[in-house]
Amino acid sequence: MNAMIDDEILDRQLREATPYIDDDGFTARVMANLPVAQREPQWLRAMILLGLAILGSGIAYLLSGGFVREGVIQLSNFPIWLLLVFAFGCGLVVGAFAIIFAIRQTPEVRDLARLRF
Amino acid sequence: MELTDADLIARVLVDDDQHAFGELVRRHQSSVRGLLRQLTRTDVSLADDLAQETFIRVYKNIRSFRGEARFSTWLYRIAYNCFREDARKRKELVGVDEELLQAEHDPQTVDPGLKHDLMHALNLLPLHERTAVVLCCQNGLSHDEAARVLDIPLGTVKTNVLRGREKLKRTLAAWGPN
Repeated sequence: MNAMIDDEILDRQLREATPYIDDDGFTARVMANLPVAQREPQWLRAMILLGLAILGSGIAYLLSGGFVREGVIQLSNFPIWLLLVFAFGCGLVVGAFAIIFAIRQTPEVRDLARLRF
Repeated sequence: MELTDADLIARVLVDDDQHAFGELVRRHQSSVRGLLRQLTRTDVSLADDLAQETFIRVYKNIRSFRGEARFSTWLYRIAYNCFREDARKRKELVGVDEELLQAEHDPQTVDPGLKHDLMHALNLLPLHERTAVVLCCQNGLSHDEAARVLDIPLGTVKTNVLRGREKLKRTLAAWGPN
């Protein structure tokens, strides 16, 4: 080495002098020591949501003063083809939401599509 | 197609995907362990313990990573904090390094067999200069990123890198053939 070492050469030599450290089981040791995630079970979340939906529907029915019942009776007088179109439309909307949710929950599909949500 | 660090972090955040976190560890383990080996003066066992603690802290706190800096910068900051906390526990203060530096700069104490060993020269630097040189020159962080990692002013980082480089050059020049 001479005295006229410039910064670039010094930095390059420093980088080259640093060997790559083989994993040699390090990652496995880290993974084995990770804390267990404290997430509530999925079934509990589903039950809470379902319970809230039933409760909300019941309260809405009671507070409507018969409005919902009359609406259902009126709906039953609609022609069958209109009810089918209505049901099909509802199915499409729900299906679209289900697909979007599934993509968000599936990393492989999300990466494949390169979609950003 | 290789996933970016940001993709892997997103998987950890959204899906709690441990495989994605494992990939992050595999990607960065060498640089983090290398940095800690430099800081601990090549105490491999201690450095690996600190590196493990670093990655566990990263996993616990990954939700606080806001993506303003590079993931590696954030990682180095946590690694440096782990090292500092451990050093405090062991009462290894920066002043000790200064004393070691003085002792090791004595030409009579330098092992002639290590004349061309750059890593040995690096180990002769005091802690604050060694850390700045390792981060900026070895790991390619900008001065600004190193300032974030070390939580010190930008000017101090620049000074430490400059002084560290000059000492390295002097040491290496002194070791060179006459």
